[in-house]
Amino acid sequence: MKLLTHNMLTSHVKGVTKGYPLLIKATEVKVNEVEFNPQFVSRMIPKLEWSALVQAAEELGHRQDLPGELVADYETNEEFLKKVHRILLEVEVLEGCLQCPESGREFPISRGIPNMLLNEDEA
Amino acid sequence: VTNMSSQEDESAGGGSEPAEPSSSPSTEIGTTSGDIITVTIGATVPTGFEHTAAEEIKEKIGVDARISKDRGRVFFPITTDKLFQVHLLRSVDNLFVVVEEYHHYQFKESKEETLMELQQLASTLPWTNALEVWKQNGTLKKKKGHRRGGNTAKSKPNCEGVGGSMASTEQQELPQENSAPEGWAGDTQAMETSTQDSDETGHGSKLIKFRVTCNRAGDKHSFSSNEAARDFGGAVQEFFQWKADMTKFDIEVLLNIHNEEVVIGIALTEESLHRRNISHFGPTTLRSTLCYGMLRLCKPQASDIILDPMCGTGAIPLEGAIEFNHSFYVAGDNNDMAVNRTVNNICHIQKRRADKGSMSGLPIDTVQWDLCSLPIRTSSVDIIITDMPFGKRMGSRKKNWDLYPSCLREMARVCRPGSGKAVLLTQDKKCFSKAISRMGGLWRKQHTVWVNVGGLHAGVYLLKRTGSRSCTQPCHAANPSVFFGLM
Repeated sequence: MKLLTHNMLTSHVKGVTKGYPLLIKATEVKVNEVEFNPQFVSRMIPKLEWSALVQAAEELGHRQDLPGELVADYETNEEFLKKVHRILLEVEVLEGCLQCPESGREFPISRGIPNMLLNEDEA
Repeated sequence: VTNMSSQEDESAGGGSEPAEPSSSPSTEIGTTSGDIITVTIGATVPTGFEHTAAEEIKEKIGVDARISKDRGRVFFPITTDKLFQVHLLRSVDNLFVVVEEYHHYQFKESKEETLMELQQLASTLPWTNALEVWKQNGTLKKKKGHRRGGNTAKSKPNCEGVGGSMASTEQQELPQENSAPEGWAGDTQAMETSTQDSDETGHGSKLIKFRVTCNRAGDKHSFSSNEAARDFGGAVQEFFQWKADMTKFDIEVLLNIHNEEVVIGIALTEESLHRRNISHFGPTTLRSTLCYGMLRLCKPQASDIILDPMCGTGAIPLEGAIEFNHSFYVAGDNNDMAVNRTVNNICHIQKRRADKGSMSGLPIDTVQWDLCSLPIRTSSVDIIITDMPFGKRMGSRKKNWDLYPSCLREMARVCRPGSGKAVLLTQDKKCFSKAISRMGGLWRKQHTVWVNVGGLHAGVYLLKRTGSRSCTQPCHAANPSVFFGLM
C-alpha cells in the first residue's frame, strides 16, 4: 500500500463519523524506485489531505524533513517535489494494519493489500 | 547449381531462414532488403474500437488509418524503415501485411469456377514486398528478444481460469456470421520439396512451412472457407514449394473474404497481442487491447486518480499503469483470489521491467473492498473504469438488479462532481440503463461503444459525473424494490 492510496482510504464502520485518517501500524515497509514526474506530483498535491500525508509518513519513520504545512510555490521546487514523490509512490507498506481512529477496528495489510471488508454486524 | 557438400545446414529448429524457391524469380526473398518500400498493414482490433485504433495509429505512426467495412479491421500504410512502430500499438490484437486487396471481387457463378480462380490467383499475386516485410518483421522480433510464449493462457501452469471461457474469448476475433476460420496445411503426406538445388547464396536452405487461414463472411458465396483455404493453399504450396504445416508454420497466409472484399495477407503476429500483460488469469480476464480502448475513451490526464472497483485480475488498471502512466490507479475487488492475482500480475510486469533495467515501480495499488461500501473519501476520485459483471459468465441477472443501483450510487459518491467520469463495460444493458436513469441525475451518458466480449454483445458506456452532490456516507445496498417497483 502506497501512501497516496492511504490518503484516500477511510474507515466506513457503521456509526463512525471520524474515520479519517486511518492510523498505520506497519511491520514491513519497502522502498521502490518509481520514475519521477514533477508534473504528476505538483498536480496531485492539491488533491491530497496534506496533514494526513505527513502524519502517515511520520508513522512509518519516513517523514524525513517533510514540512507540516505546504511551502509556497512548491510547483517549481524540484527538491520538494522529489521528497513528496518519494513519500507518495515509493514507500510501501507490505505488512501491518490500518486502524480506525474512532472505533479502533483494525484492517489487516498483507502483501501490500489492505483488507477493508467489514463483517456483517459492522456494515 | 550449388555444390551440395558445401551447404551448411543452419536449421536447428526454430529459426526461419527462408528457402530460396527454385521457380519464379519474382518470389525470391531477401533481394530488396536494402530498399525502403511502402506496404499496407492490416490490423485486427476489438470490434467497436476501430476509431480508437485509428487515433493511436495517427498518434504513434503518423498516418491515417482506413477502417474496413469488415468490422474490427483497420488498414494503414507504412514504410519498412518504420516497421518496428507497429509493435508499439496497444489497441491492436493481430497484425498482417497486405499482399493484395480487392474491394469488389467478382466471384464466378459456380463453386468450381470460383475455386479455380482462387487457385490461379496464387501465382499472380504481388508477394515480393509482403514477404520482404514478413522477413524483416522476423528479424525485428528476434532483436527485441520477444518473449512471445510467456504470457499466453495456454502455457501458464498456475492459470486457474475456466478453460472454456478463455478459449471462447480467443475465438471472438472472428466475424459472427461465420464459423471458425479454416486453416489449411495440405495432405498429411506432404510433398517432398526440392530446395537443395535452388541455393544461390550458400546459406543453408531451411524449408519454409506455411499454413493458410481463411475467414469468410457473407451470404452470397458459393463456397466455404474450408474449400477456399484448401484450394488457395494448394496453389500457394505449388507455387512456392513450401511445406504445409498446420501448427509449426513460419508463414501464415491469410485469406479474408468479407462479401465482396477480399484481402490476402501474411501474418506478422504469431499469437494475439491481447493478453500481453496478464500472466495470472481469472475466469473473465479482459483483453488488454479492450482495456486500452476503454482507457483511451476516458482520456486519463496527469495526476488523475483512477479506480477500478471490480478489478478481477487487474487487467484494466494494469494496462493503464503501463500505458497511461501519468495517472494513479487503485485496483479493488472483494474476492481474495482476484486481489492476489492482481498483485501477482503487477509483480510480474514489475519484474519484467526490472530485468530490462528500467525503473520497475508502477503507479498502481490494490485494495480488498466491498464496492457497495467503498472505504474511499467522498469526491476524491477522477475516473472510475471497470468491467461490470455480466450475469452470464459471472454473477447472475437477478444479482445485477440489486448490484447495479448500489454500486452506481457508491461510484457516484466517490467520483468528483462536475469533472469526474466513468467508463463501464457491461453486457446487461437493460439493467444498466434503468439503474442510471433512476439515479437522480448523478450520471449523464456521454457516449457508448458497442463491443464484443467473448461472443457476448456488450456496451462500453462513457458517463460524466454531474455537478449534483450525492450522500457523503457510504451508501449500503438499498432495497431493490425501491428502484424497480414490482418485479
